Amino acid sequence: MNIVYSTIGLIAIYLYVSAASLLWEGMDRKLVARMQRRMGPPILQPFYDFLKLVSKESIIPRDANKLFEIAPVLALASSIALLAYTPLGFEPLLATKGDVIVFIYLLGLIAFIRVIGAVSSGSPYAQIGAQREIIMLASREVPMMLGLFAILWRLSKLGVEKPFSLGTFYQYNIWEIGTPLAVVGTFVLLLVFLLWLASEIEVGYFNIPEAETEVAEGPMAEYSGRHLALFKLSNALKEFASASLVVAIFFPWGISGYIGLTGIAAMVLDLVFHTLKVFAVLFVSMSVFRAITGRLRITQAVGMFWSRILPMSLIGVLLLVIDVLGVIA
Amino acid sequence: MTLPFLVILPLFGAFSMPIVSLLGKKLKEYWAVIISGATFAVAAKVFYTVWRNNEILLYTLGSDNPIGRGVNFPIRIVWEVDLFGALLALTITFVGFLAIVYSLGYMKHDTGLEKYYTLVLVLELGMLGIVITGDIFNFYVFLEIMSIASYALVAFRNDTWEGIEAGIKYMFVGSLASSFILLGIALLYGQYGTLTMSYLAIKIAENPTLVAKVALAFLIGGLLFKSGAVPVHMWLADAHPAAPSSISAMLDAHPAAPSSISAMLSGLVIKAGGVYAIARIIFSIFNPGLHTYLRTFNAPAINMDVIGWVIVFFACLTLLVGNAMAVVQTDMKRLFAFSSVGQIGYILLGIGIGVLAYGTRAGELALAGAIYHIVNHALIKALLFLVAGVVIHEAGTKNLNELSGLAKRMPLTTFFFIIGAAAIIGLPPLNGFASKWIIYESSAMYNPILAAIAVVGTVFSLAAYTKVLFTFLGKESERVRGSKEPEKSMLLPMLILVVAIIVMGLFPWQISDKIMIPAAKMLEQLNGEYILALLKFIGGA
Repeated sequence: MNIVYSTIGLIAIYLYVSAASLLWEGMDRKLVARMQRRMGPPILQPFYDFLKLVSKESIIPRDANKLFEIAPVLALASSIALLAYTPLGFEPLLATKGDVIVFIYLLGLIAFIRVIGAVSSGSPYAQIGAQREIIMLASREVPMMLGLFAILWRLSKLGVEKPFSLGTFYQYNIWEIGTPLAVVGTFVLLLVFLLWLASEIEVGYFNIPEAETEVAEGPMAEYSGRHLALFKLSNALKEFASASLVVAIFFPWGISGYIGLTGIAAMVLDLVFHTLKVFAVLFVSMSVFRAITGRLRITQAVGMFWSRILPMSLIGVLLLVIDVLGVIA
Repeated sequence: MTLPFLVILPLFGAFSMPIVSLLGKKLKEYWAVIISGATFAVAAKVFYTVWRNNEILLYTLGSDNPIGRGVNFPIRIVWEVDLFGALLALTITFVGFLAIVYSLGYMKHDTGLEKYYTLVLVLELGMLGIVITGDIFNFYVFLEIMSIASYALVAFRNDTWEGIEAGIKYMFVGSLASSFILLGIALLYGQYGTLTMSYLAIKIAENPTLVAKVALAFLIGGLLFKSGAVPVHMWLADAHPAAPSSISAMLDAHPAAPSSISAMLSGLVIKAGGVYAIARIIFSIFNPGLHTYLRTFNAPAINMDVIGWVIVFFACLTLLVGNAMAVVQTDMKRLFAFSSVGQIGYILLGIGIGVLAYGTRAGELALAGAIYHIVNHALIKALLFLVAGVVIHEAGTKNLNELSGLAKRMPLTTFFFIIGAAAIIGLPPLNGFASKWIIYESSAMYNPILAAIAVVGTVFSLAAYTKVLFTFLGKESERVRGSKEPEKSMLLPMLILVVAIIVMGLFPWQISDKIMIPAAKMLEQLNGEYILALLKFIGGA
């Protein structure tokens, strides 16, 4: 019976997140347009784009192999699977101890599948984009994992039921520790995570693999029609899931408790509130970042990750560790 | 008693092969398939018996009692099969069977096939003998049978320079390693006057002399060679590219051997003749628990921690060097061969921690992880070498720089490769994940630095296999134009291996709890079960 409920829940979440994330894309485009004194497209533009892409003919290049067509499906499948492990205002559907590794794995897998699809197209533009994507993937995950594991380790010290699960954020949150060192460390990590989020969804500085003007859409160069639509959708889902991670770590508070709701109603309310928080985080990390910064070169971006963001993450982690050790009272 | 048939069948098959091959052209191939299939069935039966009863099978050659009349010590050759041995026998016969089926198509263009099939069966026989024997000299004989068959198989394509070169290299250093092992056995026999492993364990515990330590050093040294540990791994990287792919899956003398042979070298020979024997000698003859027990009473005993650290040291070296060398290769089979070296590092790490943390949960987990990884790696690496064999067979080259875009002409083979590569890196839905996870977990429990080294090795391995992946995808090169999917007899074994990898990947913790942990417990023999299986005959007969 549990399996049936989880399946229904996953389908419902999938439908909701698809709508919400596409809606956010529309809002993002509108907001960025307003920042540049343009009118911008209607809020529902991504839905129209999606429907149009689905209805268009999908062209398969002569040099492409089977994986070119399979990759979009796999990417969407991994994104949907990712939703089952994403905290959305309540515990993830399949929360279990150690599920953080599955989350990171699926997040990396989506990027890797994009690369596989790009390489399978046989186009040199896509190949270059794929190489950049891999390099970015290798650099951006290290500071994120370091910070995430440190925070989960710190929370597991408070005696949680499922250590190293993304559900623990709803039991305890990192601000509760409250000591000065922990607060400073958490602020540093928040900055790391906002930068990581920007690179995960590839905007602003980190819009490198897709770089429209340089390598003609990079990995997506050869995709068209419904295959492209599937990729766009899976990207939108991934965007929402990554932002949900940041929200769950740093702003996990729900409002259903204050109103005194329980059961399904509380879940729905928390989900809506969570969505608003995700939009707020994405506004900072995506819209503003996208509007005010230009693209870096790939070497600069990699250098930034290893020489700025990784040390930053290390500092945040060390502050948390020192706090636990109690060296400084 | 089905146990003797494990050796009788391949022996019979090998010796009847010259006669059978006179009868008809195709008959010898079917004969090899039938014999190896029947051996697989026997191994499955033996495995099931041992697993269900959860006790050690003891078989005495020539009598029903290993103890001599009028004396109270064993005088006959005994075969002792615990779950670890039975599991390996099952793996060996399974991969051996698939490699022989694969050879039907793969070796079609070679001559002298009756010798080939004889040698393959002899190779399988040698490995089976190693994993079932309880007599150390008997072990040496089977080790030599296995080694000599693999020398011959590595150099099987004797019209190619690399086959001969790899064969000579392998034979010279292999013989040296074998003589180390023989010297170790001779020292033990001279000191203790017995060759039965379990009885030897008692004798050594009663009187642990310097000779026993020297003998142990010789044995470990020789066996590390046979398992392809760094710094004595070089034979492996040469031999595999030369060997027929079906054998590389069995031995690991990869690049030079036919791919069928590479499959057997990598999947089986380095495990049966190397890591299995190391684990058996350490845990059954020089049991760490027994010696720690003696030390608590200030009795003279061998300090097994030293052995544990030696093995862990070579394990770390092996998994770093093997995987790192795999990244820079441009020859596909050579890359797989170095990756095999790297994976042996994980297995040795598990065994080493099993010795160091003997009797604790970390030690037991590490040992279970090592056993699990032996089985998993045998399946995965066999699959990868069979895939490499297909690529060489169809595209005519194994140079990664010349190959690109195989996926379009060979979608199935590409799929098999992707599964194999994902499994060996250890991606979750496949079988490589659980075994590596157990090894990481137990090494982190024992010493986090060791776990960090293991993870670094995996990063290298990820890089190496990503590189090969780009060979299969990408734009089609000229070289690949004419290639197509191979015939069914080559596809079928790969398909079976892929199914096994996926199914095992779906039930990782069930397999671990039901098979690997009991196997580790039996190998660990906390209460001296391996010794008691023999001792119960004393006085009872």
